[in-house]
Amino acid sequence: MRWFFAGLGLLAVAASSCVVLRRRRVADRVFLALVGAGCALAGVPAVAVLLRGVSVQQRWRSGGPGGDWVVGIDPLSAMFLVTILGVGFADAWFGVADLAPARARRRTWFTHATFALVLAVMALVVTAQSVVLFLCAWELMAIGSYVLIVTEHEHAAVRRAGLLYLVVTHAGTLALFAMFAVWGRASGDWTFAALSASPSGLAGGGAAAVFLLALVGFGGKAGLVPLHFWLPPAHAAAPSHVSALMSGVVIKTGIYGLLRVVVLAGAPPGWWGWTVLGLGVASAVLGVLWALVQHDVKRLLAYHSVENIGIILMGAGVGALGARYGHPVVAVLGYGAAVLHTLNHALFKSVLFLGAGAVYRATGTRNVEALGALARRMPLTWLAFLVGAAAIIGVPPLNGFVSEWLVYQGLFRAGQSGETLRLAVLAAPALALVGGLALACFAKVAGVVFLGKARSAAAASAREAGAGTLVPGFALVLACVVIGAFPAFVVPPVLTVGRFVAGATGERAGAGLAAVLADVLAGAQRLSLVAAGLVVLGAAFWVARALLLRGRSVRADETWGCGYARPTARMQYTASSFVAPLVRVFGSLAGVQEHRGATVFHTVPADLVLDRAVLPMWARVQRLALRLRPMQQGRLHVYLMYVVATLLALLAYLIVSSAT
Amino acid sequence: MFSSLASLLTFLAIAPLLQGVATRTKSALTGRRGPPVLQPYADLWKLARRGTVVSATTTWIFRLVPPAVAACAVIAATLLPLDGHAALLRFSGDAIAFVYLLALGRFLLALAALDTGSSFEGMGASREVTVAAFVEMGFFVVLGVLSLATGELSLTGMLTGTTGDRLWSAAPSLVMVVLGLFALLLAESARVPVDDPATHLELTMIHEVMVLDQSGPDLALVLFASAAKFAAYAAILVSLLVPRSSMPWPLALGVLVAGLTGVAVAVGVVESTMARLRLPKVPLYLAGATALAGFGLVLLLR
Repeated sequence: MRWFFAGLGLLAVAASSCVVLRRRRVADRVFLALVGAGCALAGVPAVAVLLRGVSVQQRWRSGGPGGDWVVGIDPLSAMFLVTILGVGFADAWFGVADLAPARARRRTWFTHATFALVLAVMALVVTAQSVVLFLCAWELMAIGSYVLIVTEHEHAAVRRAGLLYLVVTHAGTLALFAMFAVWGRASGDWTFAALSASPSGLAGGGAAAVFLLALVGFGGKAGLVPLHFWLPPAHAAAPSHVSALMSGVVIKTGIYGLLRVVVLAGAPPGWWGWTVLGLGVASAVLGVLWALVQHDVKRLLAYHSVENIGIILMGAGVGALGARYGHPVVAVLGYGAAVLHTLNHALFKSVLFLGAGAVYRATGTRNVEALGALARRMPLTWLAFLVGAAAIIGVPPLNGFVSEWLVYQGLFRAGQSGETLRLAVLAAPALALVGGLALACFAKVAGVVFLGKARSAAAASAREAGAGTLVPGFALVLACVVIGAFPAFVVPPVLTVGRFVAGATGERAGAGLAAVLADVLAGAQRLSLVAAGLVVLGAAFWVARALLLRGRSVRADETWGCGYARPTARMQYTASSFVAPLVRVFGSLAGVQEHRGATVFHTVPADLVLDRAVLPMWARVQRLALRLRPMQQGRLHVYLMYVVATLLALLAYLIVSSAT
Repeated sequence: MFSSLASLLTFLAIAPLLQGVATRTKSALTGRRGPPVLQPYADLWKLARRGTVVSATTTWIFRLVPPAVAACAVIAATLLPLDGHAALLRFSGDAIAFVYLLALGRFLLALAALDTGSSFEGMGASREVTVAAFVEMGFFVVLGVLSLATGELSLTGMLTGTTGDRLWSAAPSLVMVVLGLFALLLAESARVPVDDPATHLELTMIHEVMVLDQSGPDLALVLFASAAKFAAYAAILVSLLVPRSSMPWPLALGVLVAGLTGVAVAVGVVESTMARLRLPKVPLYLAGATALAGFGLVLLLR
């Protein structure tokens, strides 16, 4: 634990170094070195816990209300710590390089300082083991994120997105206060251990209230449908490296919270598992569908976070069901899949956001319809984005496939269990549909942004990003490839975390579980063979192609246009047209307006929940509130009348109640 | 191991034949003579010896895609128990890898199509990914039935061994799954009623318009990959209909070849008796196929 606190200390020092050094040239390097050292140090105990499976803890006596402050690292915390620190450092690195040109004009040091603090506070969120400390860290994280989102607060849209975020996150925190209040009303002090040890808080309707409030509070933070509506505007408004952190890491604290509640409260009730699974399916399908129709790259990526949170929740949901119905195999696979997809999504989503950020920096637009042909202008960014795209649609040999593969295994093994649990298998086709739609979406983004012909002058004159922004992106790409090609290295620690969350450790596990998990691990090893086969065979076909073409004519010519010899960029398929067949299938669920004319076809996306439900409801609340306005006269004697009337009413109540 | 490898090579060798058989069947039923059964081989041979014309708009990915797509199809085929006993590569959960390997190939083909900047190819890629999203969903319903009926998660386990007999005890589900899978096969391999391999108007195509700019050896690789994908789906169908685990492997392989030819004939019959659907109707067709397999799943879940 000493390493952990030293790491957090270094992150704090990194933040203060920004404040001290401000705009000096050396500031960036000092900041990066400190953040890197801090993340590395704080990560040491997390890796140790994952490898050894032994938890560590530090406790401070506190005389104040709320009892002792406890910080500890168990397998669940360790998994999230690794995600937060690793991906967080890469994002910080990109941010420093990305904002460096603006150093003279903007207070970039302030953004960097906040970023380091948010990293440290997030590390506290996933390690805090007492309620007061957890809620403090949770609030600091929320406020720090708000400050980061409104970095470019001169734009009204950014301030609006920040406000929406602030409202939703505080509503969620309120739910968490209520949850802990219900849970801890009977326990002596407010440490997690005390909550877990005193089952009286969960007696009666307590368990239902706790799990429901957890779903609202943590689910809202994670961005599950229908509580996702704050997420796309907020993630689109923030600077790119902040979007990467928010989308990849910050929303995952919601997942952490849900899993932590499961660890502390034991196997959740059946309805909760079904609800989580159902909401997971809804988030995944609707998230990817809404992503499909976006034209703003960052909004599109943000909706994909909703989709991936859905996939994670499908894993968590089937895990909860497995635990509830006494199938530890399903529980371990489901929870393990959820935490692995959490890590994987953090990796590839950061790659994609950093790529989108580099494109935005180079072209000044986020509208995909105005881009094109960037593969020629920005070859390295394109390579990173391509790998990220292949990872997010979940194809082998990349990391997204490994975690989706585990989710499927959980679902199919639930189906084979032969109990009520078997109905969970119905989520498998939904996940397949999600994969297919994600494929369509990223074929669209990658194709329209990077391939074909440039659709605007800005795209035609784009320049490749600098080394400072490329290196962190490629570090994340490397992680995606390694996890995808050698899953046998990550699957065992992930299954350890799954066993921890499922409570299936030691003698409670049983021999059957060990056999199945060995089977899964053997499968993970074979996935490396699949990856190797793809590479070797692809190379062989490549060589064959080259040999066949030796001595034959290889000619460059115009793209075939049915004999038309002067194709232009405007003749290309647009992003709107590309997804039009899918939008037609899903109809009004896709939430787009189509604009058709003799020569134009384009679509305008809307958020079904925000634009059709939340904002209209809010307007109604406002109208009702205005109707109460006449009560507020602003004159002293009216208010005095209210006071006197209240006093008289109370007296009347007292007389009546004592008389009877 | 040897039997698996020999079966795989035989399988890959006869994959192009199936399209020839389908075309020939169609010709015979419509009163024409048609091209010889071996025509697909002649086409591949012709393309392999040609040079190539590459669009000046394209980048490296356009040249990378044909070999990669062929590799995806072949690796997917290594997961199938072609000799009736065991796949060359088998592990728990390989059925999932099978689908996603084909998805990787499709993603790459769509990118190559968009790389040309052609509106035709963009259109083809758009239609292909639309159709594929629903085919994948349907195929996972099929996998759900197979995994529930056999208690296995690998294609080898689902399609061979004593578990194959357990599959037969779920016969009503199996009938629906076979019909659903056949409908999905038609869509996945770009045949009538979803796509028409014989059409000559770019605006009406799906799969072929997506590879309009590939030529020479590149086109040969893409065509080979399509043939292998068609044969792979057909092989699953044959393995479901004819349990071959009690046969010695050369016989099992012979049965597979005969069965694949049978599926190709069936595809030819469908093509000569049905018109292709209007594009907006295709998702309905796929929903129908998925629902059919879904009924099989419901029977097992009840």
